[in-house]
Amino acid sequence: MSPALRRYIVVRILLTIPMILILVSIVFVVLRVLPGDPALAILREGASEEQLASFRAAMGLDKPMIEQYWDFISGVVQFDFGVSMTRSRSVVDEIKTFFPATIELAIGGMLVTTIVGVFSGAFAAQHRKTAADYTIRVASVILYSIPIFWLGIMFQMLFGAKLGWLPVSGRLDPGMTPDSIITGLYTVDAILTQDWALLKDALRHLVLPSMTLGLVLAGIFTRLTRANMLDVLEQDFITAGRARGLKERILVYRHGLRNAFIPIVTLLGLQFSLLLAGAILTETTFSWPGLGRLVVDRIFDRDFTTVQGSILFFAVLVAGGSLIVDILYGFLDPRIRY
Amino acid sequence: MTEQTTNTNVIDALNDQKIGLLSRIWQGRKWYGAEWYITGFGGLILFVILILAAFAPQISPYDPNGFVGAPFTPPGQGTQTLLTRSGENLAVDPEDLEWVELNIGVQRNKNGKKVADANEAASTRFMTEDEMLEGLETGAVDYIFVDDNMVSEILAAYPGFEIVATGLGTSFPLGTDNLGRDYVSRIIWGARTIMSVALASALLSSVTGITLGLIAGFVSGALDRILSLVMDSIYSFPGLLLAIAMVAMLGPGLVNVAVAVSVVYIPTFFRVVRGQVLSVKEELYVEAARSLGASAFSILTQYIFPNVIPSIVVVFSLNVADAILTEAGLSFIGLGLPPDIPDWGYDVSKGHSFLVAGHWWMITFPGIMITLVATGFSLLGEGLSEILNPRLVKN
Repeated sequence: MSPALRRYIVVRILLTIPMILILVSIVFVVLRVLPGDPALAILREGASEEQLASFRAAMGLDKPMIEQYWDFISGVVQFDFGVSMTRSRSVVDEIKTFFPATIELAIGGMLVTTIVGVFSGAFAAQHRKTAADYTIRVASVILYSIPIFWLGIMFQMLFGAKLGWLPVSGRLDPGMTPDSIITGLYTVDAILTQDWALLKDALRHLVLPSMTLGLVLAGIFTRLTRANMLDVLEQDFITAGRARGLKERILVYRHGLRNAFIPIVTLLGLQFSLLLAGAILTETTFSWPGLGRLVVDRIFDRDFTTVQGSILFFAVLVAGGSLIVDILYGFLDPRIRY
Repeated sequence: MTEQTTNTNVIDALNDQKIGLLSRIWQGRKWYGAEWYITGFGGLILFVILILAAFAPQISPYDPNGFVGAPFTPPGQGTQTLLTRSGENLAVDPEDLEWVELNIGVQRNKNGKKVADANEAASTRFMTEDEMLEGLETGAVDYIFVDDNMVSEILAAYPGFEIVATGLGTSFPLGTDNLGRDYVSRIIWGARTIMSVALASALLSSVTGITLGLIAGFVSGALDRILSLVMDSIYSFPGLLLAIAMVAMLGPGLVNVAVAVSVVYIPTFFRVVRGQVLSVKEELYVEAARSLGASAFSILTQYIFPNVIPSIVVVFSLNVADAILTEAGLSFIGLGLPPDIPDWGYDVSKGHSFLVAGHWWMITFPGIMITLVATGFSLLGEGLSEILNPRLVKN
């Protein structure tokens, strides 16, 4: 590792910390100025003054704002996000319960995005300036303009309500419960415990949400792939390959795509926050018990601690994701100098 | 070189002919090719939607919040039947229904009239179909209008009713919702809502983002670093989540939603403008202006800002497209506008709760409209970016 790269990595990590801190502070302030008293919202009308006061004291809501902020930040440093205001569980436990569902959905969505996006993008680049190219380009704009929740509902209507092929909500059928939770990803757990009925059920529930999330993001991915493929296809080694009589299909999909892949993956890392935003709406549409649902539900419940904890978690995810992508890029492409 | 000459010739020829603006725009396709069609198509979609939004009161057949028909009327249906209790000699001439509607449960739908406005009491007397049928049975009202399709079902359940007249009123081309509100009217008024929210938030974020970007790029130093860091933090964060937190703080309402959505898009303007300023301010003509004694303010506004405009136009268009989706997402989650403002996102989420019943029109039409508007702005931005930045076009 060159000293320049090492220095870059250190600076990059140091820059990530204030970024997260800024976001967390914004969220903290935003939530504290929220109209509505959380104590009253949680204990309901009719709670006595003593009950309210003791709840506020237990949650630290009676302390001055600065002190609450300090408590929160010092807790975060120790990976302690506090206790949920509406459930008697720690926020870290809540996140642990809901996060695997989001990962499972995100992986499923990425799979669809990659398959659809890479192939349509490469195809469009190969047939540049033809009807196929223009069709794919316009289709990718339209795909990205579809409200993700609406696409999900249309799928539910078609494949769920009308054709009855696939379940429209949740992660498992009501009767199904995993015997033991190892990773929290039901598909992986099912394989580990060799519970094939569970695997089939989990996969069936995963299909529609993944398609929804994946297809909408595929619009962006198609364009990225197309642009990168156009660059690669103009390079000398492609011309050389063509001169040697290689088949066009092999040139494009083997030699071309492989070289276009690194920038595509990098750019995809930058779309990470789009994936999470899409996941929130997808989870709401499909009653998918993930992090996005957790945040939205608890906003309505006025569960401050859980909301700020999960938003902080989102911020760390996004910042960490882009950090890793940036560093990886430095390793993968030695031409980049810092 | 040859192409340059031809273009000049064509422009001269156009000037000689003194043709109108519209045909001039039409001629533009010769130079820009596919980009022209993309921009034009996007513009056309937006033009139609803008007309709907601007003339909503004139075009819309009903009050978007009026209970003008039977609940869940499928598209293209909705002509109604007048029912009464049998054996009480309540028959009436269907030609003259004016007086009947004065003591009636649910209004007959009437084209061109906003019945809910004129007859607030009558239209809100019953909230549900069952209440209305009960109302006729108990004698609270003497007549009710029901959907033609439901007559046989109702007569089977209430043998004491009889038909006075059938096939009255008009049909609903896009159907009605769970409260019997006309979807055509809701779509038209929804265009007005979404356009005002999206444009207002984009204006707000562009003014803020551009100002901050100009300052940061021009001043540099510590201020630039801090602003960039804050903007990058906001930019990296999922926009919808930020908007959710903002709306939760501000509460529902047209202005609040616009403000919440605008926060998401400030960083995009900031980044583009700042980058442009950084590259433009080293140009010779800026240096020349500075050495001639131009003030910092006039350098910013007269020398730097004009160079940034083309990119702003593109970013603006793409951001409006995104803002529309964010606003719709907020409404879908239930953190959007108050329910008395017609809103496509809200209509989709309402339709979602009747998904299993198979009322497809409640979901399909508002969703298509959101897609259409977002596509329009995306295509416009896409095409404009190619047209306004010819340097980016490769051979």
